Amino acid sequence: MFQDNVAAPARNPGRLKWPLALAMACLAAACGGGGGDSASTPITPVADGGLSKVAGLGKKIFSDQSLSASGKQSCATCHNPDNAHAQSNDLAVQLGGANLDVPGFRAVPSLRYLNLTPAFFFASDGTPTGGFNRDGRANTLADQSERPFLAPHEMANGSKANVIVRLKQAAYAEEFRQVFGASILDNSDDAFNRIQLALQQYQKEDADFHPYDSKYDQFLAGKVPLDAAELRGLALFNNPTKGNCVACHLSAKGSDGSPPLFTDFTFDNLGVPRNPAIAATADAAYFDLGLCGPDRTDLGNRSELCGAFKVPTLRNVATRKVFFHNGYFKTLREAVSFYVKRDTNPELWYPADANGAAQKFNDLPEQYRKNVNVTEVPYNRQPNMPPALSDSEVDDVVQFLGTLTDGYKAQ
Amino acid sequence: MKKNILAQAVALALMASPLAASASEAELLKRLDKLAAEVEQLKAELAATKKKADTVEKRQDALAAAPVAPVAVAAAPAVAAAPVSTVAATSPATMLGPNTVLSSYGEVNYTRPRHDSSKAQTDVARAVIGITHRFDEKTKMVAEFEWEHAVTSASDKGETEVEQLYVEREFNNGLRAKGGLFLIPAGLLNTNHEPTAYYGVYRNFVETAIIPSTWREAGLGLSQTLDNGLTWDAGVTTGFDLSKWDAASTEGRDSPLGSIHQEGQMAKSHDLSVFGALNWRGVPGLLLGGSVFTGKVGQKTPDFPAQDARLTLWDLHARYTPGKWDLSAVYARGTISNTEALNQTFAGQPTPVPSSFYGWYTQAAYQLWKNSDYTLTPFVRYERFNTANGYAAMPAGLAVATGPNEGVWTTGLNFNVGEGVVLKADYQKFKVDTARDRFNLGLGYAF
Repeated sequence: MFQDNVAAPARNPGRLKWPLALAMACLAAACGGGGGDSASTPITPVADGGLSKVAGLGKKIFSDQSLSASGKQSCATCHNPDNAHAQSNDLAVQLGGANLDVPGFRAVPSLRYLNLTPAFFFASDGTPTGGFNRDGRANTLADQSERPFLAPHEMANGSKANVIVRLKQAAYAEEFRQVFGASILDNSDDAFNRIQLALQQYQKEDADFHPYDSKYDQFLAGKVPLDAAELRGLALFNNPTKGNCVACHLSAKGSDGSPPLFTDFTFDNLGVPRNPAIAATADAAYFDLGLCGPDRTDLGNRSELCGAFKVPTLRNVATRKVFFHNGYFKTLREAVSFYVKRDTNPELWYPADANGAAQKFNDLPEQYRKNVNVTEVPYNRQPNMPPALSDSEVDDVVQFLGTLTDGYKAQ
Repeated sequence: MKKNILAQAVALALMASPLAASASEAELLKRLDKLAAEVEQLKAELAATKKKADTVEKRQDALAAAPVAPVAVAAAPAVAAAPVSTVAATSPATMLGPNTVLSSYGEVNYTRPRHDSSKAQTDVARAVIGITHRFDEKTKMVAEFEWEHAVTSASDKGETEVEQLYVEREFNNGLRAKGGLFLIPAGLLNTNHEPTAYYGVYRNFVETAIIPSTWREAGLGLSQTLDNGLTWDAGVTTGFDLSKWDAASTEGRDSPLGSIHQEGQMAKSHDLSVFGALNWRGVPGLLLGGSVFTGKVGQKTPDFPAQDARLTLWDLHARYTPGKWDLSAVYARGTISNTEALNQTFAGQPTPVPSSFYGWYTQAAYQLWKNSDYTLTPFVRYERFNTANGYAAMPAGLAVATGPNEGVWTTGLNFNVGEGVVLKADYQKFKVDTARDRFNLGLGYAF
């Protein structure tokens, strides 16, 4: 399953890379739903909570544990609606498979605020942008929802046909036929496609996935004030010479008044420390290189992209239990501190080599370490320099990030 | 030719004057007497003008004394000097038909920064086509279409815009009413912005950064020129949209109002603005005036924390053209209220909304040399302006430094070829941002 990043400060277009890689097919994330439009089934709005019939089916599928090999895992297991549609535990990667004992490869991302993510593309200046999954390889929420059903470390159905066999036993099977056609379950590929469509539609339609009701949203609307520390944190977050987080995690309304998503959908290479809690890392030759593989296969020859992962939204970041693609950090404060002290105090984050020197960027093969972003604020530092944010300023930024949690109710 | 033009202007003024059907004979006679006197006055002026035999000077007088749109055929009822600006518009060469006049202006500029010649640039800055159609002697339509920076497309930097589009009707008492998209009568330049009408390659900073020339709004306006030389303007129009403010860009530092103008482009119109202007031309060659524009700028935008913000912009201006001199000065000041909550949402960003901004300039030009075809007019201008003169109070530690009081010396010359073409050269020296020091060359025309 995936994980999400935290406050990622600025990023340069064009730096991403990582080592090569071994092949291990990692697929992470549990269900996920989607974005694109496929299938031609009409989506008719109906009464059920304002959801269309298709979305209503998606809602049921989303939390149906019977659609997994274990019978105990649904999309909602890892994308818990009560925890901003992200994992509730603090495991770096989740366990799946028939016996729920097969470890995954990436931390679980939240499914919130993905409905406006564009399909992957290279911007005019070459910046990789958009797409779903941490490597952007799925073009729609529907596409993204395929892997979790099939991956051995997730719901582990093995085949689409197996998923449909299980769906036929579901209480909503008849409803599925009513919506998608009486014979829809006779063709596994078609039926599976409709599952993906339904999950995507659910995520797009249900405001639970994008409520825009955080304290920060209400602050932007002039309805509640931020307290002093939160305001200081916002200022540091926005300040190009301090946190500079806003360089990737956009914090202002769009020109059309749309609320900020706290991501520009791009990718960055942060040099996050290798996480031994991920079983795959027992193999010293294993590296997860994001854009250039091994999960994503179409950019394997773009070595400059190796190590780059998608910039996630920071909405609900304070509810996360693990941070970054490999779930290395367990607290938000650590994650923010990593940004500002990665280069000033590498010994805090990376293991020492035989000579006692910190092995910076140790989760990347040597040849890709040059891809790590070391030019933008706050990364543009050297040992013996002060970090871009002091400890108290890090506290303020963390306070501000707390205002991005959905469901704020003024006292 | 001058005489013909003036005669046309007089004729048009006569046609346009209020010979209303409902007026009594006595009133009509009275008005005729008055018009006759005005014609005599115009004739006298024509004689004086001929004596000077300087077409360029006349045009400058016109600019100084009648800052009205150049296509304003037969403007007001014959106050001294008012019709002179109709020269171009009534030229037979520009007639598209018996009642339709084509006009145009354009400028091509070259700029070379003093300290960084790699940034030298040439720009087809403006190309404008205007059409004025007179439906009858009292009703006309004025349209002006503009291209900026030569090429407009999704991947280019140019703009295409409707700069003016309004209908004006004159009433019996000399009152003029207009509706549509029209220029706000603020400062000296906004309603008189053709390259032949101002000194220097670029429009001055005060009337671009503070008064956002070319500033137009959609709405209704009234104006009237009185016998004592006083012209008043008033109206209700669209205003600005503060929700467009981008605190991350520098656009709001360059021109606070230029960054939130609506230009008649599906303009939010919940909050309308009002304006008023007074201009006095009671002494030949002298113009004294002022204007004020005010309106709320929140536009009831949903979930916007500055619903009650109000913009007020006012100016005082003067122009005096004794002999070969052309002296002018403008002071303009704007304020935006109730920005505290909005600026908090911009904490840490470089360009919050200023609570005040201002600027002034003074300029002197002297017609140094002329012959029948050419005129050489050196000038010097000093400007001082601050687009971020003040900010509403922010919580401790979050205050943003106000902008600098930038000062700019511009010195150069306009070289007019005939009446409609001008070559320009100047040098601009900046007091604060010296990296902007630059040499400029320009070619402009207007007819």
